[in-house]
Amino acid sequence: MKTADLVQLLISGIAMGSIYTLMGKGLLITFLTTRALNFGQGDFLMIASFLSMTLLLAGTPVVVAVVVVLAVLVVLGVGLERLAIRPLANMTAGSASSLAWILTTMGFGMLLQNTAQLVWGKSRFYSPPLFADEQKKVVELMGARFYLEELIVALVAMVVVGVLYWFLFRARWGKEVAAVSFDKGTASLLGIDVRRVVATSYAIMAVLAAVSGILAGPLTTVQAHMGLLFILKGFAVVCIGGFVNPVGILIAGIGFGIVEAMSNYVDSAFGDLYPFIIALLFLIVRPSGLFGEFKADVR
Amino acid sequence: MNRNRVWLAMAGVLAAFTAHAENIKIGVVQGLSGPPAIVDFGESYLQGIQFALKEYNASSPKHKIELIVYNDEANPQRAVSLVQRLISNDKVSAIVGTVNSGNVAAFAPMVQQAKIPLMAGPAIATDITAKFIDQSPSYIFRCSMVEKYQVDAMLDWGVKKFKKIGLMHGTGGYGMFAAGEIRKGMKARGVELVAVESAAPNVTDMTPQVLNLKNAGAELVLMFHDSLELFYRAMPKANYKPVIAGNWGLSSQMVFNIVGQEGIEGTVMGQALDLNDPKAAAFNARMSKEFGDKYRWPVVAALGYDGMRILLQAADQAGADPTKLRKAIEDTSGFKAVSGTPAKPFGPKDHECLDQENVFLGVWRNGRVVKLQ
Repeated sequence: MKTADLVQLLISGIAMGSIYTLMGKGLLITFLTTRALNFGQGDFLMIASFLSMTLLLAGTPVVVAVVVVLAVLVVLGVGLERLAIRPLANMTAGSASSLAWILTTMGFGMLLQNTAQLVWGKSRFYSPPLFADEQKKVVELMGARFYLEELIVALVAMVVVGVLYWFLFRARWGKEVAAVSFDKGTASLLGIDVRRVVATSYAIMAVLAAVSGILAGPLTTVQAHMGLLFILKGFAVVCIGGFVNPVGILIAGIGFGIVEAMSNYVDSAFGDLYPFIIALLFLIVRPSGLFGEFKADVR
Repeated sequence: MNRNRVWLAMAGVLAAFTAHAENIKIGVVQGLSGPPAIVDFGESYLQGIQFALKEYNASSPKHKIELIVYNDEANPQRAVSLVQRLISNDKVSAIVGTVNSGNVAAFAPMVQQAKIPLMAGPAIATDITAKFIDQSPSYIFRCSMVEKYQVDAMLDWGVKKFKKIGLMHGTGGYGMFAAGEIRKGMKARGVELVAVESAAPNVTDMTPQVLNLKNAGAELVLMFHDSLELFYRAMPKANYKPVIAGNWGLSSQMVFNIVGQEGIEGTVMGQALDLNDPKAAAFNARMSKEFGDKYRWPVVAALGYDGMRILLQAADQAGADPTKLRKAIEDTSGFKAVSGTPAKPFGPKDHECLDQENVFLGVWRNGRVVKLQ
């Protein structure tokens, strides 16, 4: 393999892996507070891609577009918690049907898919670049060429991991999340506003999906069903990383992206299969993930 | 002639006229939701059908045509049950559809058994009508591209013009089928593909595949993947600009919108509509006026339009009876098509609108698909 090819594959892999990382972290944050994963999170990403594409094509400055998309997605995230998670938690706590969130979150996602088809149509679209002036702005490094967006995606993912890490392990809010995760009743007795903590976690999930959507738009094709693959890979990544630590998810996400790019280079016929096979083998050896623990976790 | 006799004569004429005017139901099954590549085909073909019917209704027609449209969502089971419904409940005289060749293959035997004419389209698998042509009579017709014809046209041109040819295909049903046809075709021509790359249908990046084709030195890349825009997207990164040739999907305006004029320039594809032909250009202008931005795929719409006009012309002569309608479709002559369809499209042993000689290669030049010279 040529060095230039290797660098190029690494950068492409890291860029896509960063999106999987952001998705994985969205899954983690709601799991910590409500023991529920938003299976419609891929559709949150899709809505963010469509919204940012529409705003950018209408000539809105990037900063304004990003703020608007984040605001809309936060409303969706909090709405999801209020409509599809909280009523279930109240009604079905402790019973077998406490897994009903799988259906409600997927249903919410389907609603978003259909709404996108109604608004934007059923075809596929291409989002304009966020940072480069023209569509094909290529940057060269060690003979490898790549889009500026790919670098930015990776940088944003790192920054978000840092911020999330700080929030979870250094800020007071992280301690509240840990308490809520351990036992909602006790946390409430300790004076923690459980509802606020939960709602905030859904807002953060939505922000992560929004960032993923804004960044993924110019890298791939925007269409109503684009979210499924991202949520599948995000889920694999969070399993590999362990449902505990954002750093584990970052390592797993970037690793998944790189393995995917390399396996497509070596044997494209089964390129998408190899990362999942490796994920499976890894989980057999280490079922709780990179940073997971075998004992019950408090976060 | 006294006044009463005039009235009587007029009533007689009217009675004779109304006795022959029938209510004819035509069922349409199309892929109108699901993957974007399917929807672009389904909606475009349906636009052609609707426009043909609109023109027919505006020409004081002999019969009243009722169009019943169902969406098969690109799902074979759903397609079969919808066709069953069209036959048993709606009692249609003819059926048109659908995008997925697998769906057509699933319901065509049922339609043949029910003795109802089927105008297949825009499905393109090679053997759709061939499987039934020896049953006398066959009720299965098609007005669409035929995969083998476009692949043959492309390979004949490709092996003459390029030394190194690579293939990029999808790993879904259609991509694998097309790859098989291309490998067979290349073997028959005694030429080896320098690289064969593939990707899953819903892939998000094709950089690795582009790098491999570049390293293999492919000057022509045969593109048979639905998400072809991802390939174009990765090409500038690899500093690689091969000639891309693929199926008629590459002529869609949606591909143009996504890839852009500079990227798509020089891309070659199987075609059956030459926009330099005044008839085709006039059709294109009328469709643009009728459907605006939603009109995006001239060749698919043109074949839907021609297929429906053949049906309507046959229905004018034969009425609602499916057996007579089948015969009238087969006997169609003097047909003025906007696509490459000939004046006498069908015969007892030919149920394809397009024959090999009606399929040619198109190329994107200055934002339009024109015949490759």
